[in-house]
Amino acid sequence: MAHYDTAVIGGGLLGCAIAWHLARAGTRVLIVEKDQVNRHASGQNAGSLHFQLEFRMVEHGDDAARLAARALPLHLDAQRTWAGLEAALGAPCGVALRGGLMLAETPAEVAALDRKAALEREYGLDVQVLGGPQLRELAPYLADTVRAAGHLPGEGKANPRLVTPAFAHAALRHGAELRTGHRVTALHRDGGRWRLSTGDGRSDTADTVVLAAGVWTAELAAMADVRLPVFPVGLTMSATARTAPLLPHLIQHVGRRLSMKQTAEGNVLLGGGWPAKLVTRHGRTDLDRNPELRYESLTGNADAARVVPAVMRLPIIRSWSGMTTLTPDQLPLLGPVPRRPGLHVATGGSAFTLGPTYARLLASTLLGDRPDLPLDDYSPARFGALNFV
Amino acid sequence: MSNPTDVVVVGAGPAGLAAAATLGRHGARVTVVDEQQRPGGQIYRQPPTGHTRTGRRTEAGRALLAEAAAAPHLDWLPDTVAWGVFGTRAGLDDYAGPAPAPGRLRLGVHTPDGGRTLEPAALVLTAGAYDLPVPFPGWTLPGVLTAGGVQTFLKAQGLLPGRRFVLAGGHPLLLVVAAQLVAAGAHVVEVAFSQHLRTLLPGPRDLAAAVGNAAKLAEGAAALRHLRRARVPVRFGTVIRAAHGDPELDGVVLSRVDAAGLPVPGTERTVACDVLALGYGFVPSTELARQAGCAVAWRPAEGGWIVDHDDWMRTSVPGISVAGELTGVAGAEQAEVEGRLAAYGTLQTLGLLDADRAAALARPVRRILARRRRFAAAVLSRFAPDPAALNALVTDDTVLCRCEEVTAGDIRRALCDHPHLGTANAVKLLTRAGMGLCQGRSCQPAVCRLIAEQTGRSPEQIGAFTAQPPVKPVPLASLAAAARQHDDQG
Amino acid sequence: MSDTATPARPTRTGLHRPDPTTIMVDGEPVTAHPGESLATALLAAGRRTTGETTSGAGKAPYCNMGVCFECVVTVDGQPFQRSCLIRVRPGLIVQTGPAR
Repeated sequence: MAHYDTAVIGGGLLGCAIAWHLARAGTRVLIVEKDQVNRHASGQNAGSLHFQLEFRMVEHGDDAARLAARALPLHLDAQRTWAGLEAALGAPCGVALRGGLMLAETPAEVAALDRKAALEREYGLDVQVLGGPQLRELAPYLADTVRAAGHLPGEGKANPRLVTPAFAHAALRHGAELRTGHRVTALHRDGGRWRLSTGDGRSDTADTVVLAAGVWTAELAAMADVRLPVFPVGLTMSATARTAPLLPHLIQHVGRRLSMKQTAEGNVLLGGGWPAKLVTRHGRTDLDRNPELRYESLTGNADAARVVPAVMRLPIIRSWSGMTTLTPDQLPLLGPVPRRPGLHVATGGSAFTLGPTYARLLASTLLGDRPDLPLDDYSPARFGALNFV
Repeated sequence: MSNPTDVVVVGAGPAGLAAAATLGRHGARVTVVDEQQRPGGQIYRQPPTGHTRTGRRTEAGRALLAEAAAAPHLDWLPDTVAWGVFGTRAGLDDYAGPAPAPGRLRLGVHTPDGGRTLEPAALVLTAGAYDLPVPFPGWTLPGVLTAGGVQTFLKAQGLLPGRRFVLAGGHPLLLVVAAQLVAAGAHVVEVAFSQHLRTLLPGPRDLAAAVGNAAKLAEGAAALRHLRRARVPVRFGTVIRAAHGDPELDGVVLSRVDAAGLPVPGTERTVACDVLALGYGFVPSTELARQAGCAVAWRPAEGGWIVDHDDWMRTSVPGISVAGELTGVAGAEQAEVEGRLAAYGTLQTLGLLDADRAAALARPVRRILARRRRFAAAVLSRFAPDPAALNALVTDDTVLCRCEEVTAGDIRRALCDHPHLGTANAVKLLTRAGMGLCQGRSCQPAVCRLIAEQTGRSPEQIGAFTAQPPVKPVPLASLAAAARQHDDQG
Repeated sequence: MSDTATPARPTRTGLHRPDPTTIMVDGEPVTAHPGESLATALLAAGRRTTGETTSGAGKAPYCNMGVCFECVVTVDGQPFQRSCLIRVRPGLIVQTGPAR
């Protein structure tokens, strides 16, 4: 048994990044991970750094888009954070910010693109809607069916294989402790501290606890007798064989589920929100099994890739499923949990793109500093009605 | 989509042919999917269409090929990749598109005409095995091939892929291939066998097990006699250490090994050659079964990860059976017998055969199978390579993952830098080993051996690379076309 | 060791074959027999190297049974085709070298 200033539950991007900030500030930090570092959403997502609003945020109408746009201040911060991340960590993370394009193929999609760009510009995000020769010059690889594209120069990609291990490595260098293969089985207050027990019978205490456990956040919160509305969603990603550079930009689509980018090694990664089916067992969702890939998602995602005709001749060499964590309003869930002193949470929203930003802001809260961005819109307090004590 | 297929058999080797023929004879409508143009698998591979043998030679597996060709209700899909099984874990609904009919599986296939699905009530997976890849310095040079690959060039393509051959490894196939090369006029410079001869001589228990399996032993012994007569040096307790050449193979370094199978320093010698054939045994092709969710078990003497099954060859996934090498590497005869057993089990599932009749039909098959399994356990298992001896061939500069050019040193360093990592998947994600075109088939055994050596973890803890669809690469255009097909029907 | 001077030219043996045809490999005509594997045709034509890794090392048939993908070439514009599984037919256009 040991005592820590902070115990971070979850060895993904958020957990490792928060631990890095806290360890760097000289506090005693423990990361507890039930599997391996980077095993889940942090390592399974396709590495998009999309600072424009995503299709899933605009597909449900203008009001929903306006609500989702409240995260845009974080997008602006994330753009700067990613640009400096490799220098800060002293490790390669595959960050490449060569611009992103959100495509429109129909007049209705072009109109949606214009509305989205206007909303983004309200928040200071420099999105330009390009069409005609200007777009062809920037992206000669696009299919003729593409009429316009929202262009944001600072968008791009990072390498999910490298980012979280780099954070973990940096955190360990600053003295954080990492315990993998240990699942937290109990979490409760004990003499003014948090006590967390792991499956092997071990038990430790910490002044503060951060839940950075993605889709497992709700069950961990329940151990502390708190309900947090987070929902798992199964997603599909695919990769082609390596090929010569053909796609410098991050590609998204305003009217379809699609994200596409080419890795430094040359693989083209496909994703963008094609569903994978969560596995249920005994009538309940089983979060410990990878969601089941759907044939329709693999083929549908492949079909959506037609906007870049040159990729169609490439073979897909693997597809995989992962889970991401949604909140009811699609906004992040970030900050202290009301009426649970010392319990904090970080999940939801675009947690890969915005992860380094979440981590920095939450760490400054934990260290007693005032975060340099208002976090009220993302606070767990907005779901306070779900809890009676 | 209406689909007249009751059973899809994946693979047209001995197990698949026997299963398909047996199923068809009992009234099941069968589709056989195979990556090759002509049936036979690796072991009974026939020459290409329009090619005939010059000598009067009996084709191996002729009876089985004829039986399958004559069987009713068989539909063949050659040149076709079966790339994914869907709906086996969660059970899929039709929210996202047309779901398979109740009680049916969905199999994605890529044919020369593009992508489509098959929706059988049952699947028999008989994907066979492939040569165990064994890395050492220089094994990526053009001219270094697997023994199986050399044999296929010779027997199925009528090609001697070089002039001067060295064969190295630890599997009896080496002797057979060497004898075939000599008979075809090749210059076999040396056969280097990693085991010491005394460890290979049969004991009394093995001889008992060999009853009814004499042909197999005789084949190896005859090959050895032919090689002796042709004055081909067959050296035991000798291993490959390196392959040289720029840009292509021109020689190899061989050395002696001690009783533990580890190289003896100072015994290295260079032998000139332009083809090196490697034969260390076989790895079961379990990818499609694992992707479908079938439970597997670690059986190093049988080739590594094998697919669990019951007495009727049924896997843990309802509707999916297995036969042949993916239940444990044991050769063509056992594969054929297992194929028949899988057919009898599947016929019961389909309601085409009652339990009593199936039991009666299976009885003689089970007797043969028991004999084969005794033989396999007693004799073939002694050729299973020793992990420490294989690891000893690997230097830090040795490429393990050929596709992504990841070296053993890269993986050792990754494990040192990230001591909390210790599974095949985690190492793959961190180093890219296994992320290339071959989807990890060439590097997985060596990567996992290295993780075991470095971390002290067991093969079960380390696991295998997750088998992901498509289990063989499929063009994006083929998948996209399949999406439009469904849209048209929906 | 006079033997080592022998050019390492693979030879066809043991089969009656259909009359040869011509395929184009990297812009040069190569004689091959319809139906045989492209890997066989390339080796028999003296091309021991059929591809290139990212770092520029030579690649060639290794497993010869569709598993290792070492022998992939571009066939009629379609990249990453396993030459051990592709069958020769008249007029085939093949590009070896780095996969693209």
